[in-house]
This record gives sequence, structure tokens and C-alpha cells, in this order.
Amino acid sequence: MRREAFAGFPEGEALRDRARAIKEATLQRLDHHLERLVGNIERLGGHVHYAANSEEARRIVVDIARRAGARMAVKSKSMATEEIDLNEALEREGITPVETDLGEYIIQLAHERPSHIIAPAIHKTKGQVAELFERELKRPVEADPEELTRIARAELRQKFLQADIGITGANFAVAETGTVVLVTNEGNGRMVTSLPRVHVAVMGAEKVVPSMTDLMVFLAILAKSATGQKLSVYTTLVRGPRRAGELEGPEEFHLVLLDSGRIAQLGGPLREALSCLRCGACLNVCPVYRQIGGHAYGHTYPGPIGILLTAMLEGTQSVKELAHASSLCGACADACPVRIDIPKMLIELRREVDERKIAPWIERVTFKLLARVLTRPALYRLFARVGRVLQRPFAREGTISHLPLFFGDWTRTRDLPPVAARTFQERWAAERERAR
Amino acid sequence: MTTRAEFFAKIRGELQRKPALFAASTAARPEYPAAQADTIRRELAERWPATLEAFRVEFERVAGVFHRVASLDDVAPAIDQIARERGARDLVSWHPASVAGDGLSRALTARGLGVHEMPAGEAADGAERARLRAVTARADLGLTGVDLAIAETGTLVLVSGAGRPRSTSLLPPCHIALFDRTALVESLYQVGVFLEAWHGDGTPPAAGAVVNFITGPSRTADIELTLTRGVHGPKEVHAIFVHGGLRG
Repeated sequence: MRREAFAGFPEGEALRDRARAIKEATLQRLDHHLERLVGNIERLGGHVHYAANSEEARRIVVDIARRAGARMAVKSKSMATEEIDLNEALEREGITPVETDLGEYIIQLAHERPSHIIAPAIHKTKGQVAELFERELKRPVEADPEELTRIARAELRQKFLQADIGITGANFAVAETGTVVLVTNEGNGRMVTSLPRVHVAVMGAEKVVPSMTDLMVFLAILAKSATGQKLSVYTTLVRGPRRAGELEGPEEFHLVLLDSGRIAQLGGPLREALSCLRCGACLNVCPVYRQIGGHAYGHTYPGPIGILLTAMLEGTQSVKELAHASSLCGACADACPVRIDIPKMLIELRREVDERKIAPWIERVTFKLLARVLTRPALYRLFARVGRVLQRPFAREGTISHLPLFFGDWTRTRDLPPVAARTFQERWAAERERAR
Repeated sequence: MTTRAEFFAKIRGELQRKPALFAASTAARPEYPAAQADTIRRELAERWPATLEAFRVEFERVAGVFHRVASLDDVAPAIDQIARERGARDLVSWHPASVAGDGLSRALTARGLGVHEMPAGEAADGAERARLRAVTARADLGLTGVDLAIAETGTLVLVSGAGRPRSTSLLPPCHIALFDRTALVESLYQVGVFLEAWHGDGTPPAAGAVVNFITGPSRTADIELTLTRGVHGPKEVHAIFVHGGLRG
């Protein structure tokens, strides 16, 4: 008994293996675990809704808000509600959505989208934030993070106390107990689930975990990967609406289970990506993300995992270019707390883009020709020599910044390195000759 | 609209196509969690000082302020000092039955603090509920008990319920939590055992809908990655350890 009571979770690498195995084991019986979750939530007096796509999810949430007579909705940070474009739908119904995560609040004022999964306003300077606040409050604001945070606290505090409905995502849901789990650092998740009369959580169907013991494994791993904390400041376990005897808490609790292409990947090539915890670790280490930033991906989820999630939610067609926005260096797979093999799936996606002839014909032909050339040394050397002659009119100071015809598309946003005056192969041959 | 049956049928269909990527199992759950939780408590009753010290180190690492007092009589002076240093006047408290009994509120009132105790159960009506919320939103200090104090992470676990509103530890800018050795646990794994027991064959500390893990004061780094405290929740979290125990 004692050994059992004091045995801990495995640590380090073994903990990552454990977490991944739990995710996979859960997916293998996803129907069973979701049924337990739904049964428990309904037993607690909560309601569960099913959305096949963004449109259905929007309609469900808007209907709940309308029935509650809501005029204002406070939201805690949620990628799922970003994904379904909920804010615009609420606005169309005359319901004001208020993002309450500081970063989300900032980008909502700027009418932008998040550029990072866990630090959505990372692309804004404090000066830009101060300008946004000045415009909103119509008074001068000092560009100091401490002061800006104080202002946001005061502004948003009023909204928390006034709002009729609270909308959240969910980091996890525990099947055995009917618990929805929210992880935040600011405390807005607690506000949103405690103060308004109605709470709606929108969650991808893959986020269920079987038991409290499983949940603790993920809590032990999530914050470390996301922000380097041992645990985020607030982990909130919510079981349905307010209970008898409780002074506060919502009278109504709703969970919206979201499909949007997730379920099809249970049997599809992107199944591994269903294990994603949305920690953002793969973004932070990705050389491409670090160069281009989150907005350049052009979809809800940026970064390496974002490419896979975009393909999952919007189809392979939508990532015909993004599938190549990776150097396949593997840093993302190393950083992933649940060991998702992102590069492997990116290669699969590229293959699919090619096989289904989704890419433009010119690109396909170019890559086919390139493959021919790269696999034939003699042809490669010939092309190098021809290229050296042809590039003469375009090479300036060691780079090619303008090409004619449709080749110009390549050089519109980047330079092309010219073929060297003496290629490596030529130098190598010469060195060998000399050594002889 | 998609029905429950359609949703589940689709999941089952896909799982038939690909039952498994590799052989895997979920976490091994404790068979008798309540008994195991008791074992953890019993063992820790003997070596709590090391657990408390580990908790203090982690709690201070996450910017919590740790206090240690000898007995229940020393709690009011400690809270009074926290209040004086901050020019705080109003304190909102969980119902005394969930903190340290009736004596503490009297002692704090005697020291000149405005003490607002939350009711033992629901508010009589909407107006009363609104009044209590306004009192909480205005208060300088929020006083609560603690159900578990996790040494591994410096975390306070608070279960909501009758007399234990969620907002007491959330709306005031300074949260003060009282605990004694009975709340101490070593690890997240042990917390898992307690959570299994509370939802299974054991008795939870309260019957509310929410369990909150609180690891230091509210924080954000959303503006230029500069760490700032107190964005929505409290700017300060104090944990007062009562050596002699909270129940006398």
C-alpha cells in the first residue's frame, strides 16, 4: 500500500511517453470516454451539444446566448472559439463579445487575430498597446506594461461583473467525473466560470481524458511545455452548474463538442495530431515560425502543429503552400510534450498535395524536373554550368534579386543565391587532383 | 443540427478504420482511493516538516508570501499586520466553519478591520446575492481555508461549496489562505489520489461544483513578455501556516 501511495508519476522523458500513451489509449476508445463524459455532465444538470462544423457550433452558442437574453458575453482565451469565428456571429446577433485574456483583449481592440497560441499579442509593442488603450478610453495612457495591465484589470473587471454569459474553451474534460478543466495564468477563466449566469464551454471532441489520475499527468506536463512553469497559476475544475448551497456560479452549464474534421482523422493520416495539447512549444522552437510570425500562416492555428490542424479542419487544399513552410528540422517533434511526429505528417501532406494535384501545375512540373536533375550527377553538373552562364545578367553583389517571367514570383519576396563561380564539386575535384 | 447519435456513429465508424496507432493504456488509477488518501495523510503526519519546507520554497518561487504562526491566537495579529502594511480596511471571508471557527472574525473586528463573512449557504434572493458580490468586489482582503497544499508546485487547492464562494479568493487584490499540516501533500500524483477519492469512495471537503488550483498570484506576460502580477485575480497571495492546527 505504501509503495503505491507514494509512487509518483514518471519524470522527464518517461512522463512524455506516459502522456502520449494516455492520449492514444483515450482515442482508441473515444466513443466510450465521450459517452461517460456526456452522461456525467447531464447527471450534474449540464447540457451537451454536438457540432459537426463551425457553423453548427456558432449557431448552438448564439442560440444559448439569445435564450439567456444576453447582451454581453465575457470570454476567456480559447482557440476553439477563434476557430469557429464566434465573435462575429455574436456581434451579428447584437451580443457584445469581450475577450478577457489580456493578450486577446489587446488584439480584439486592434481588430486582429492571435499570432501565437498562448501569447496572442506577442507581435505588439507596449507603445502600440498604449495607443490602442488611448483610442478605447479616450485619454492619455502611459506605455508601461504594469500601468497597462492595471488599466485592463479595471476595464475588464466591470465587464466580468456585468456579463450575462461566460464563454470558454476547455483544456481537458474528465470523462469519469464530468469535469471541464480550464488552465489560465490571469484568473479570467475563473471569472468567466463563476460570475455570469450562464457558462458555455466549446471543446474539440478529442480533448477528453478518462480519469482524474490521467488529468494530473497532463497537468504535470502542460505548463512546463507552455511557459516553463511547474503549474499554471489557475487550474479550474468545473463540474456542471452551481450546486445547491453555493452562493455563486452559473445556473446553466453547456458543453459544445466540436468535430470540424477532427473525427475523420481518427481513421485518417493526421490521427497523431489529435493528441495535441495546444501548449505552443513547437511554435517557440520552430525556425520558420520565428522568422515569419503567427499571422503569416493565415489561419487560426499557426506554427508547425498549426499546419496539421489547418489541414485537419479545413482540408488539405488549404495547406498546399503551408505544407512547405517547414525546414523539416525536427525541432517541433523534439519539443512536443506528447511526441507528435510533426515532420513525418508534413511530408505526408506534401505527398498528398502532390498526388491529388492540388498544387499549381507549374510548381508540380518544376519539382518533377528538379527531382530528375538532383538524382542524376552528370545532369546536375551540366545544369550548374548552364545556370552560371544564364544568371550573369541577374546576379548583383552575390545575390539574384530579380528574375524574368514567372520566375519573378520566386524573387518577389526573397533573394536567390547564385550558382558559385566554382562549385563545391569542381573545387573538390581540383583538391583531389592536387593531393595526388 | 448534428444529433448525439450521428456524432457517436461517426466516431465509431472512424475507429473501425483505425483502431490503434500502437498498444497503449491509460494511467493506473488507485483501486481504493479513499484508503490510499488516508495512508498518505497518516504517513505525512509523521514527516510533515519536510513537506512544509518544500511547500514554502515552491510557494515563494511562484511569488507567494509564506507566514508561519504558532497557534490560532496568532492568526489575527498576522492578518492585521498584512492589512496595516497595505492600508487595507475590509476583509471578506469564507463562512467561519470553513476557515477557523468564530473566534477569528471577532479578533479581527476587535483590531478594527471591517469583516464580512459569507453566508453558510445560498443567498435569500437575487438582491442579497448582488449585495454580497458587491461587498466581495470592494474588499481589500479575501480570507479562505485550504483543502490541499501541494509541496511539489507550491499550489493551494480550494474546493467550492456552501460557505465557500469562489470569488473570495478571486476578486479582492490580496488573498490570504489559512492552513495547517492536515492540508499538506507532496506531489501532483497524490493530489490525483485525493481527487479520485473525492469523486469516488471518499468524502469531498465540500459539495460545490468547482475545484481551484491556485499557484501564486495572477500573472500575465502578454505585453512584450514582461511579467506583471494581478491582472484579473489577486496581486498577492499569502499562505498562513498554523502550527498548532486550525481546529484548536
